[in-house]
Amino acid sequence: MTDLTPVTALGGTVPRSEVFGALSITENAGLALASLSLRQGQLAPAPFGLVLPDVSQTVSTGGYGAFWTGRDQWMIEAEGQGDSDFAARLKAEVPEATVTEQTDGFAAFEIQSSAGAAPIEALMHKLVNIDPKALGVGRATRTGLEHMTVFLIRRADDRLAVIGMRTLAGSLWHALAVAARRLEA
Amino acid sequence: MLIPHPLLGLRDSQEFTYLGDAALMQRPDPAADGAEAAFCDYVFLRDNPAGVHRELWFHEQGDRSWLVVTRDTTTHEILGAELASNLKLGAAQ
Repeated sequence: MTDLTPVTALGGTVPRSEVFGALSITENAGLALASLSLRQGQLAPAPFGLVLPDVSQTVSTGGYGAFWTGRDQWMIEAEGQGDSDFAARLKAEVPEATVTEQTDGFAAFEIQSSAGAAPIEALMHKLVNIDPKALGVGRATRTGLEHMTVFLIRRADDRLAVIGMRTLAGSLWHALAVAARRLEA
Repeated sequence: MLIPHPLLGLRDSQEFTYLGDAALMQRPDPAADGAEAAFCDYVFLRDNPAGVHRELWFHEQGDRSWLVVTRDTTTHEILGAELASNLKLGAAQ
């Protein structure tokens, strides 16, 4: 049988991680994603006990998370389940809703600051046209970053997740790393 | 230029793509008499007003909603934005 080696979105056998002064950027290869959308007139379900959030909001509980992506549409996250068929598990939870696998379409990068919110906000000032103060803890939005479409999720004051298209993972890493390196200088 | 998105607040116009006149939402009935002529007008004819214009914008790098944006074509002032789905569903009732 063919011996296949799984690789991450950046092509490595282990997730890439690099420190730039107060900021560290880590590829989150284990994050599973699936989108959930309602058909007209459906009421919002509660998959894995998540109360699906309103505009720009996020929720998380016990390794699962959800963030608003559009009207009657959310992205559901599962930590450490990137190598499993998460969409099928979600569909089993909410058989009436429309579920689409997204793990293979996106690459997630977790940015952690060791000096509070300021370095995260400085990085956002350099990269996106979104007010960092408006993107407070527990909020998420989709925007453009160097002509790439990304989801930004403010997981904590000192933590920001950037989820972008998987085929552009290398360019997205480059954009984040260059901006973080310039802040360090 | 900032677009006042009804759900997300002020957003950079670079996140949007532009389609054109909001009258495109009123597609002619293909089964009606004279449908061919109506579709010819629908596809090819556009007003080109100097002043207030209602137009369709797609929030591509955002929540992927269609907006009807009212814009003054002479000053580029944005006078308002509404969700196209609200207008469409409201009109159908």
